[in-house]
Amino acid sequence: MQKGNLFSANRFILLIKHSLIVNKKLIGISVAGVTGTLFIALFFFQSVFSFQNWTNLSTTIFFLFCYVSLGGMYTSQSFPAFRSKGKSLGYLMLPASSFEKFIYEFLVRIVALILLFPILFWIVANAEGSIIHHYIPKLVSYRFSFSQGIPEFISKWKMSGWDVSTVVQVCLFVYFSTFTGACHFSKSPRIKTLFTLSVIIAGYTLFTYLLFKGLNLKDFRNPDNEILFIKSKEGIKAALSIGWMIVNLTLLSIAWFRFKEKEV
Amino acid sequence: MIQIKDLNFAYPGQQALFKSLSVHLEAGSITGLLGKNGAGKTSLLKLLIGLLHPQSGNVSVQGQKPMNRNVSFLENVFFVPEEFYFPAISITEYQKANTPFYPNFDHEMMERILVDFELQKENNLQRLSFGQKKKFLIAFSLATRCPLLVLDEPTNGLDIPSKSLFRKILAGSIDTNQLVIISTHQVKDVENLIDKIIILDKGRVIFQENIADISQKVSFISGTSADLPGAIYSEQIPGGYRIIASDRHTETEVDIELLFNAITNGKKIV
Repeated sequence: MQKGNLFSANRFILLIKHSLIVNKKLIGISVAGVTGTLFIALFFFQSVFSFQNWTNLSTTIFFLFCYVSLGGMYTSQSFPAFRSKGKSLGYLMLPASSFEKFIYEFLVRIVALILLFPILFWIVANAEGSIIHHYIPKLVSYRFSFSQGIPEFISKWKMSGWDVSTVVQVCLFVYFSTFTGACHFSKSPRIKTLFTLSVIIAGYTLFTYLLFKGLNLKDFRNPDNEILFIKSKEGIKAALSIGWMIVNLTLLSIAWFRFKEKEV
Repeated sequence: MIQIKDLNFAYPGQQALFKSLSVHLEAGSITGLLGKNGAGKTSLLKLLIGLLHPQSGNVSVQGQKPMNRNVSFLENVFFVPEEFYFPAISITEYQKANTPFYPNFDHEMMERILVDFELQKENNLQRLSFGQKKKFLIAFSLATRCPLLVLDEPTNGLDIPSKSLFRKILAGSIDTNQLVIISTHQVKDVENLIDKIIILDKGRVIFQENIADISQKVSFISGTSADLPGAIYSEQIPGGYRIIASDRHTETEVDIELLFNAITNGKKIV
């Protein structure tokens, strides 16, 4: 067997093969399920828009909604081995390093989602569009293209580079928080993650409100604008985007440390 | 192979389970880790395989610290837990997925044991009964030829013929480089199988001896009266008594259940 206790490419390939053999049915069922759901949902929304009013931009908005919501549901299923004692023991005793197992989970749950979901969506959207157009010709915008849809979306909301970056970070936040929650909580990770996030956000909002009220910041006027390093709207957006990024990286490191703790 | 020295361990918020525990085990034996429910058997096994970390003291298995959970350690240890999970795949697929992780996996032995246990390779693991699943896991563990095999309550869920088959297969499948630790509270199930006994009670090793040494030092006899000269411990059975006696100068088969009861009742046997 390969040496290297931290990472071995050969062992990592074994881990992938192991997972493919064990999960091939589940992968097949999931892909079929998502394909069917997207097909039906697209048809439903197109019919709501009377078909002729459905545009490439509509498909893009629908894609972004699915990317975040279905993606979040998928990442909340991360670390399935931690859902029961029997599964955990088998997983933890499998001769692969913690780093390999974590990286594998990260690749399968987040990287694969980010890369493969748009491809699946593109295939389904175009297949569905072609089929529906064949039977209902008033669906004129039946060919979906990201290269057209995404720029259209950005220009529609007049988004700057930092706006786009913030949207990406928020999307990643959904994935990373559910990924971390799935690692932290053994039972019902999705509900517990949502609850925990709600408590944190509510607590932070309350704290900010009390601070605002207590210090009477409503009437505060900065006497010397120079002391603030954020001086423009763009600056605020940049700070917000960078802030989200820091939160995301923090969540990922929490997931790693929790994963290490799960071993004992 | 296993060196535990001055081990201290407690679960968070609970009182100490192990205090200055020391155990030394060499390869080439089947060791029975016996104890009442809650004696700390499973916790000790988990400390041995790195699923629990000691508060202090040293646990060493083949010169490695289990708590580091190095891959080189994991591929040389196989744990058969009391609770386990199998995915909904066939035995063949399970083997295909898992055997590459074990460098010494013996496919011929696996085939042989599967035949002995009457398990079909095309069987879906999730559709097997609990006992059949357990038999498969035992078969897989033996075929890995890991130097350390840790079996937690392996006979739970096995029917009577399977228990006897388990003893036969285990005895015939391990070699001198391997150490098998069987934790059980069903002491009868490991009779004629183990060659060393460790008895745990309230987190302490209260007895640790080779079976051969025990049978040389004391005799296990039946009698109509418990008042035999040299009787150390006796238990009433239908029609008489089972007795542990010293200085009988006859080598008898060790009655593990009687020995276990004697030790846990505070009798000094050897």
